[in-house]
Amino acid sequence: MKDIVHTNAAPEAVGAYSQATTNGELVFTAGQIPLTPDGRLLDDAPIAEQTEQALDNVTAVLAQAGASMEDVLKVTVYLDDIDDFEEMNGTYAGYFPSEPPARSAVEVGALPKGVGVEIEAVAVVE
Amino acid sequence: MREVVSTDEAPGAIGAYSQATTNGELVFTAGQGPLTPDGEVLEDASIAEQTERVLDNVAAILEEAGASMADVMKTTVFLDDIEDFEEMNGTYAGYFPDDPPARSAVEVGALPLGIGVEIEAVALVE
Repeated sequence: MKDIVHTNAAPEAVGAYSQATTNGELVFTAGQIPLTPDGRLLDDAPIAEQTEQALDNVTAVLAQAGASMEDVLKVTVYLDDIDDFEEMNGTYAGYFPSEPPARSAVEVGALPKGVGVEIEAVAVVE
Repeated sequence: MREVVSTDEAPGAIGAYSQATTNGELVFTAGQGPLTPDGEVLEDASIAEQTERVLDNVAAILEEAGASMADVMKTTVFLDDIEDFEEMNGTYAGYFPDDPPARSAVEVGALPLGIGVEIEAVALVE
């Protein structure tokens, strides 16, 4: 059983993918970028602000699936520049105040639309 | 149901994340770097040695979660230099002598702390 997750509280996909999918036990989000739900791209914003928008999008997609940030098992953070690690991490930490999920964070060659950070998550659905 | 996995047999997180999380069926490890459990970074060691340290960390975390390397379903290997693929793979193979897990391996732009390899795993919890 595979369900597609869709919400207007997060930006529409910028390609051939869904915001998230779930099998009723786990939800897998697409990589979320600093795009507002109405489609404004924050590619020139500081990494802290870009991280905030990306994680707000993750939060909204999870909420639609019946999960919260406390249910997140694993996160992958893709950075355009590994030197932004600390700034990303500082903002990120505020979204997971206790018992944060497992995470991998890497610098990639480039991200879509010239953004500085993209974040995907796997969470438990209650 | 979501639980955080924590062990002193693997290095502590270098950011806002847990070593691993589990929903009781699957365990998701954070990306592991070549750090010793007491925090020494082996960024100047050979890729074979770095891979060994990384997979020792993965094994220790899985053990704490009640899983072993034989239970690993999927790994992702992030390399600083794809030219290190064969050296990584030679060491990696020794940890999965039969029926190895599915794997993706890519070169990334950069890894945290200047390390050469980072590996994450998803495994079944018995």
